Amino acid sequence: MAPRAIRCAKLLAIAFSVAVATLGSMVDAPAQSKFPNRPVRMINPYTPGGSVDLVGRAVAAGLSEIWGQQVIVDNRPGAGTQIGTEIVVRAEPDGYTMLCNSSAIAIMPSIYRNMRFDSIRDLYPIVEVASSTPLLAVHPGFPVKSVKELIALAKAQPGQITAAASGIGSTNHLTTEMFKSMAQVDLLVVPYKGGGPAIVDLIGGQVKMFFNSAAAFLPLMKTGKVLVLATGGAQRADYAPEIPTVAESGVPGFEASTWFAIYGPRALPTGLAQQWNDSVNRYLNTPQAKDYFRKNHMRPVGGTVASFAEYHKSETARWGKVIVSAGIKPQ
Amino acid sequence: MQDLLQNLILGFSVALTLQNLMYCFLGVFLGTLIGVLPGIGPLATIAMLLPLTMFLPPVSAIIMLAGIYYGSDYGGSTTAILVNLPGEGSSVVTLLDGHPMAQQGRAGPALAIAAIGSFFAGCISTVLIALIGPPLALVALSFGSPEYFSLMLMALVCASVVGSGSLLKSLAMVTAGLLIGIVGTDVSSGMSRFTFGVVELSDGVGIAVVAMGVFGLTEIINNLGGAHMIQTILRGKIEGLMPRWEDLKTSFGPILRGTSIGAVYGPLPGLGGTISSFTSYMVEKRLAKDPSRFGKGAIEGVAGPESANNACAQTTFVPMLTLGIPGSASMALMLGAMIMHGITPGPQVMTSRPDLFWGLIASMWIGNGMLLLLNLPLIGIWVKLLQVPYRLLFPIIMTMMGIGIYSLSNSGTDVLLMALFGSVGYILVKLGCSFPPLILAMVLGPLMEENLRRSMFLSDGDPTVFITRPISGGFMLATVVLLVLFIVPAFRKKRKEVIAEEGS
Repeated sequence: MAPRAIRCAKLLAIAFSVAVATLGSMVDAPAQSKFPNRPVRMINPYTPGGSVDLVGRAVAAGLSEIWGQQVIVDNRPGAGTQIGTEIVVRAEPDGYTMLCNSSAIAIMPSIYRNMRFDSIRDLYPIVEVASSTPLLAVHPGFPVKSVKELIALAKAQPGQITAAASGIGSTNHLTTEMFKSMAQVDLLVVPYKGGGPAIVDLIGGQVKMFFNSAAAFLPLMKTGKVLVLATGGAQRADYAPEIPTVAESGVPGFEASTWFAIYGPRALPTGLAQQWNDSVNRYLNTPQAKDYFRKNHMRPVGGTVASFAEYHKSETARWGKVIVSAGIKPQ
Repeated sequence: MQDLLQNLILGFSVALTLQNLMYCFLGVFLGTLIGVLPGIGPLATIAMLLPLTMFLPPVSAIIMLAGIYYGSDYGGSTTAILVNLPGEGSSVVTLLDGHPMAQQGRAGPALAIAAIGSFFAGCISTVLIALIGPPLALVALSFGSPEYFSLMLMALVCASVVGSGSLLKSLAMVTAGLLIGIVGTDVSSGMSRFTFGVVELSDGVGIAVVAMGVFGLTEIINNLGGAHMIQTILRGKIEGLMPRWEDLKTSFGPILRGTSIGAVYGPLPGLGGTISSFTSYMVEKRLAKDPSRFGKGAIEGVAGPESANNACAQTTFVPMLTLGIPGSASMALMLGAMIMHGITPGPQVMTSRPDLFWGLIASMWIGNGMLLLLNLPLIGIWVKLLQVPYRLLFPIIMTMMGIGIYSLSNSGTDVLLMALFGSVGYILVKLGCSFPPLILAMVLGPLMEENLRRSMFLSDGDPTVFITRPISGGFMLATVVLLVLFIVPAFRKKRKEVIAEEGS
């Protein structure tokens, strides 16, 4: 009696697993070959018009063309990108909800204590789309003409030179903190609500230095409203090769960049993740993509899923260290 | 002068092409249409329609966006006047006298004077931008945190007289507004304050959420809560659609003064329309022969603030066009749109893309004219809305409010918050509290705190910086003078009353 029941159960189990497997492949195969068969939603956790929106909209337009389905940008700003990111974390992993976020996602875990998700455990990093490096600019009347002179002056007047930051824990704030610790200087960080007011005060001379995007600084540099001392990138930028890097001006190893990337929910099937990755890479190789990013002072990146997953982890750890050493307490 | 003329001719030759005229009209039309939805101010409208303009040539896109911007700005006043729904801080001032006018059957003149005032202010401030745009931007640059703080302190003192009724209740409302303004992430330390662990609160509570709750929703509850439900919003008879001659005559001064106030505030990044509207209202109330008319349908209370708001809306373009720096969130969106179209905003736009710069300026003129042409004929239709039975009207209004607030940041939390503020607002109305001080404190509080703390940061903790810097010191002096001016008459009146009592 007992052995028979066991045999029966075994048989049933086999039949069941076969059925599940067939069903699974039946459901899976056409879904993959047909993806996408309806519009795809790209969550953008920023307000329209910002740099992440610039990247997201360009990728969405590129993917729409490649997939023959609309990719719709859905702006869900707020809480240092937590609100938009959480939508993707909780989304159905069917490939129809994607996230475009910036390096803010690597900073987030170290500055928010009560996050409702884990940015490494709950997200599937797909591909880095592009990156941009910040420029270090000073007020033109400020008596320094190079990073070396800035460091010398800062050492002579510790805690006196004012450096703007657009929000505590923003990329440019952390870049400033990194500069402080690597150049071993003490600066007075003055927080602003956004890049705009900070630049006004930099031009007006109310603050002396500011790390911010090339898009904002280059036009002001050309008209002499600000003096750009260096770029935060590892190499000189091809849009302005005359600007030296911070690294070559006396702070070896200094490298800061803002990057923009695509993520999906963690349970996204590998096949779909690969398809997203392939399509974004294909878009990044088009001449119009190259032209678009060059015009906006960004570098198209691309690459494999595995390499980006690694980078996402290492960046999260790196910013975490900067935040700890800067003494910023998580909220 | 010769240059200016040539530039303007270039501008008009760009703006007057059939294509650009069409996009300008489309922008103004769509802006008005969406701006009329309660809760959706210029910021939300631009954000919503921004993707639409991606497919246009750059100049047309910017012209259309500018049209959307002032179209929605005006649309917001329409709902404020008709159904007491302010979508943003500046509309709060408009409804104070605009809605009572609508209830008395004078919605037509109120809407018309808002349009005429806006048109006049728009024209004048556009000339200002063309003539002295770059020097105006320099003024903005000489404003550091201490200047902002002193200016706002002056504005707050001015506005404390806007609220009617008991001083104690006004102060309570100011305090409540300051506290609501604190909710969110502190700029100086990154700390969360009063968020109770709710992630959605970490960016603070939106002005529209509070304003729609305490004005719009409270008004609806109040209308439904009486012994008999009101039949229509209209309490009297409709008295003509257009302003009478004496309306125009009384409004002329307020429009002029409002325009100058708005044009001064506009180029200062971050200040915005709310403060200029409040200041204009205060000035008119002070100058009026009979200040008690205010709040009960005085046309000056609509004409002045509306002109101030629109002048401010136009001159906000100055820092963006001359320096590439957005003065407000709406301008940041416009800036983003320019970048998406491959135009690098900044001081060079004027020389590298004169067609864009002067085309935009010319189109502001044309757009303001179109706004007038579009809205004057619409007044008849809007006024009819007031005759719709209230039992049909209020569910529609509430649905629109829900949609409007939700679309601000696609968040359901905001809708719930609005409901909460509406319920609390009803209780406060029953207690005789008035809300304008609350809204102003909510707008000014966080700005004042940020600038105060930054001033102290930059001055190394030395408070004399507010007096020793000349511009800041000037504002401080003006504040003291204003305070004395307010206190002395009140004191005299008190004494007279006392004397009268003793005599009797």
